Amino acid sequence: MSDTALYPTPALGGYRADKDGIVVEELTRLAVVSIATPLDGDKALDAAMQKSFGTTPPAPGKVTISKDGKTRFLGMAPGQIFAVFNHDRPDAEKRLAETLSGSAYTTDQTDVWVALRVGGESVVAVLERICPLDLHPDAFPADRCARTVMEHMAAIVLRDGEDGFVLLTARSSARSFLHAVEVSVENVL
Amino acid sequence: MSNTASRQSHRLSGGLVDRNAPLDFTFNGSHYQGFEGDTVASALVANGVKLVGRSFKYHRPRGILTAGSEEPNALLTIGRGAYAEPNTRATVAELYNGLAASSQNHRGPLGFDFMAVNDFFSPFLSAGFYYKTFMWPRAFWEKVYEPLIRKSAGLGALSGEPDPSTYDKGFLHCDVLVIGAGPAGLMAAKTAALSGARVILADEDFRLGGRLNSETYEIDGMPGSEWAQSIVQELSEMDNVRVMPRTTVYGSYDHGIYGALERARDHLSDQGDKPRQILWRIYSKRAILCAGAIERPIAFGDNDRPGIMMAGAVRSYVNRWGAAPGKRVAIFTSNDDGWRTAADLSAKGIEVAAVIDPRTGNAPYQIPNTQIFMGDAVAGTYGRKGITQIALASGREIPVDCLAVSGGWSPNLQLTCHQRGRPAWREDIAAFVPDQGIPVGMSVAGAANGELSLKSALTEGLNKANAALKDLGMKTAPQAAPKSDDEKIAATPFFYVKESKARAWVDQQNDVTVKDVKLAHQEGFRSVEHLKRYTTLGMATDQGKTANVVGLAIMANARGQSIPETGTTIFRPPYTPVPIGALAGRARGKDFRPYRLTPSHSWAEEQGATFVEVGMWMRAQYFPKPGDKSWRDTVNREVETTRNSVGICDVTTLGKIDIQGRDAAEFLNRVYINGFAKLAVGKTRYGMMLREDGIAMDDGTTARLGETHYVMTTTTANAGPVFRHLEFCRQCLWPDLDVHLISTTDGWAQFAVAGPNSRKLLQKVVDTDTDLSNEGFPFMACSEITVCGGTPGRLFRISFSGELAYEIAVPARYGDALIRALIKAGEEFGVTPYGTEALGVMRIEKGHAAGAELPGTTTAQNLGMGGMISKKKDCIGNTLSERPDLNRDDGLRLVGFRPVDRSQHLKAGWHFLSKGSPCDMAHDEGWMTSVAFSPSLDHSIGLGFITRGSDRMGEIVRAVSPATNVDIEVEIVSPHFIDPEGERLRV
Repeated sequence: MSDTALYPTPALGGYRADKDGIVVEELTRLAVVSIATPLDGDKALDAAMQKSFGTTPPAPGKVTISKDGKTRFLGMAPGQIFAVFNHDRPDAEKRLAETLSGSAYTTDQTDVWVALRVGGESVVAVLERICPLDLHPDAFPADRCARTVMEHMAAIVLRDGEDGFVLLTARSSARSFLHAVEVSVENVL
Repeated sequence: MSNTASRQSHRLSGGLVDRNAPLDFTFNGSHYQGFEGDTVASALVANGVKLVGRSFKYHRPRGILTAGSEEPNALLTIGRGAYAEPNTRATVAELYNGLAASSQNHRGPLGFDFMAVNDFFSPFLSAGFYYKTFMWPRAFWEKVYEPLIRKSAGLGALSGEPDPSTYDKGFLHCDVLVIGAGPAGLMAAKTAALSGARVILADEDFRLGGRLNSETYEIDGMPGSEWAQSIVQELSEMDNVRVMPRTTVYGSYDHGIYGALERARDHLSDQGDKPRQILWRIYSKRAILCAGAIERPIAFGDNDRPGIMMAGAVRSYVNRWGAAPGKRVAIFTSNDDGWRTAADLSAKGIEVAAVIDPRTGNAPYQIPNTQIFMGDAVAGTYGRKGITQIALASGREIPVDCLAVSGGWSPNLQLTCHQRGRPAWREDIAAFVPDQGIPVGMSVAGAANGELSLKSALTEGLNKANAALKDLGMKTAPQAAPKSDDEKIAATPFFYVKESKARAWVDQQNDVTVKDVKLAHQEGFRSVEHLKRYTTLGMATDQGKTANVVGLAIMANARGQSIPETGTTIFRPPYTPVPIGALAGRARGKDFRPYRLTPSHSWAEEQGATFVEVGMWMRAQYFPKPGDKSWRDTVNREVETTRNSVGICDVTTLGKIDIQGRDAAEFLNRVYINGFAKLAVGKTRYGMMLREDGIAMDDGTTARLGETHYVMTTTTANAGPVFRHLEFCRQCLWPDLDVHLISTTDGWAQFAVAGPNSRKLLQKVVDTDTDLSNEGFPFMACSEITVCGGTPGRLFRISFSGELAYEIAVPARYGDALIRALIKAGEEFGVTPYGTEALGVMRIEKGHAAGAELPGTTTAQNLGMGGMISKKKDCIGNTLSERPDLNRDDGLRLVGFRPVDRSQHLKAGWHFLSKGSPCDMAHDEGWMTSVAFSPSLDHSIGLGFITRGSDRMGEIVRAVSPATNVDIEVEIVSPHFIDPEGERLRV
């Protein structure tokens, strides 16, 4: 057995940049776990989430937040939710599965995605160069989410505040995605 | 250039230019000066420049015809070096300091174009000249005619250098998109904005206001241009409005989507590092087209001389830009609006020599000190490089230096037709107006809708906006249209002067004359679409904006039909030209498309790996070492080391699909041809899936990690398609199954560790609570494990190389650390990393099918796996895989091939023929799919499909490539070149 523990490597090396009030940063601690509702298991999952998190599963595009405010549940598709929360160790799925005590099928998605937070006053102007969604606050208020495609790459968009978005994108193409965001910042600001 | 202001010989007082901001520019190397607010065209007019280019076919001298984006003549190359852009319309190019413009399409100086000799040969160069002339001899088509035609074709030339400008794209959303910021558009935008709707107001001009900037109208007691600016100012200050000058909405697409080009920095002498242009996709709930109208010329003899200009354009130059197109101007108009030019010129003190109106009756306006000719027409003109005189049909000749022409106004309805809308003819204004089939969600207001007076434009803008708001369920703001003029707009259809003897030009951009249109009719090209293709009427950069209706009218007359009976051609996007650079946007160079990196990419780079693109993935192809003489050496070394000791390959790119649910086993049973119901927890099985039509779709392994938990692997290329297929099955075919899918391809860094020492290597990495002995972890076992002291991972004992092998996976964030740990652990065994080349060599040596054997035309039977199709259960593709033709005894089978002469190298793509057979498709027996040089066997080997292959072991056939003169003998052998019994896998 190796005597050397493995170290984690952030896909974007813990990227952070600040240009004219727009901050782009890689969220290296964000864990993502998918929750699939078993066939005819909606009530059980509802109850489990209510019990463990004090909230209910969100509809697709909607977000619910745990009572302690630490976990966001993103409605991804009928019967599919993503739980996102800060967690350093590679056992996020295990922890969540235990909490839900068998009421859902869970899969660790943490390493599938890279989370980039883009925030600042001009964030919508920056993102409108790559994001086909309507990000106007009336159409996409805080704590809403959506799946979309930016520059040919799948992405999940979560608005976590008036001027901030968390963008989840595939880990393998994260450098291309970051480049797309960087170019938008450069082109707009 | 300090003394050039005085050279603005035709500059008048007034206008909407900033005289405190002089701008220097050059035209054909000569220095001029204009002012901020000028276009290149208006600055040239102000400097008395009339001759600006040569016509496309006959190289006739041409001047500025219009003041807008419809300009057919004044196409210039603007910019220097790599920044130079040809075919730029001078009429919309905003002047900036240091701008360099040059004319196009002439050999020798503009004033003396050698190619003008074409004009003298014009009787031989009429419509259809190319079709008639360049037919024979056939041998001349490509070698003589095409180069000749190509040399003559086109107007401006590209720099030939990479475009140094950058471009971008973007997405916008609104409740109401207002296209055009003239009186109707401003009124519509204001109305919608006051209701709280999200409004986008886009206009191609840099100064919003449309014709209000060119006319002397008053609105609410103030000059129209001032009223326009006040509205623009008001809108710009509203949070719910986006005002977009310099933005052309060029196309209407489905679902309220519009394409728009914003020329963000074309007007700046230094574009900096920001995008020059931005291509916007605008999602609108409703759109109001307020694109105005374009003035039509009248065809008469020599109506193309420099100095002949549209009457509305003359007003634009005089009123908006304070530039006089001439000092002694005649006006030829068939409508009341043209007379306004006379009034405006007189007001500016410019001599109006005559007004000629083919209508009989009283003059609609009184113009003092001007000769009025009612019921007459201009039949000819004089002046080679600039008009000097006009000749009337009545015989009178009048010296002039400018002729303003108006044949009426054609609504800008192009966008209403982009989804097959068909316009209707309105006789009272002698023009087509929007009618049937305009895009869903679009309405049309103002001159674009045939409402040509200012008052009606303002009222309709207001009303159409209110209608759109009501449609959207939004409140409407109570307001009335402002007070305005209601000018005379009476018009009589009048398209060409029959009395003209000289050539009368219909389409000045394509040098199409009245005679050409008549010739097309005479030769049977009478449909409008045929007319367009035969004569080129309405083609090229202006798409016939000034020419189409005149051409149609002449054809209608020739056919003895009305214009509506004759019809119009279809308008398609773009409304005005869109540079290819803007369409490409930022997608250029390395970032043309996304690329995907494996978790070991940085490490592989450090090792000096050569990478290969596999789809979007960048995979290590091989790892050269000092002393390797060629890539083949490297690959041979990687294969030999792996087969003799141990090698490691990043196989993260293989698709991974997490499958969970009570019915997951049943689901797998239905998508794979072989049974999965009895796969035990902790075991992995190879599986193949078919398409519905029985053709092989993909293969891979699926591991059972728990009672309800499986992980499927797919080929790299099919990761996406297989996932999509499975989701379709889950959601649509079998919604009653409890199955859930999610991709985890990127989530796990996965490495193949292959070779006789692979177990020993892994025992140094995998934590000791996993028994890796052959008994404890046998072939096809799988397990969740921990590595390096607690990091969670997965281990699969599967082999693509044919050796004792494993695939080990950890969360992707640990991939970089794991490859380094594996290599370090393998040092004592002389471990080698290997890339896709060695991977390919080893799988061919082992006879495993891959992408080349799964091209979407082969079956399980072809692959020698027909027996795998379980008959105890149903699966997708099962039924159609039993089609007789797919099960013929003489069907293709995957087998191995080796050259009879072992020194010869095989190539994929060669076809197989029996000895003595003719080399033709009738005798084709199959083809080589994959080849490799086998370092284990020291000769070239191949896999391929050949009829009855499995029954022909040992037979010698020919591998041929007629295209490269190859015809060699190969022997049919087992596809399993190495360890056919699979003993190495199980030790």
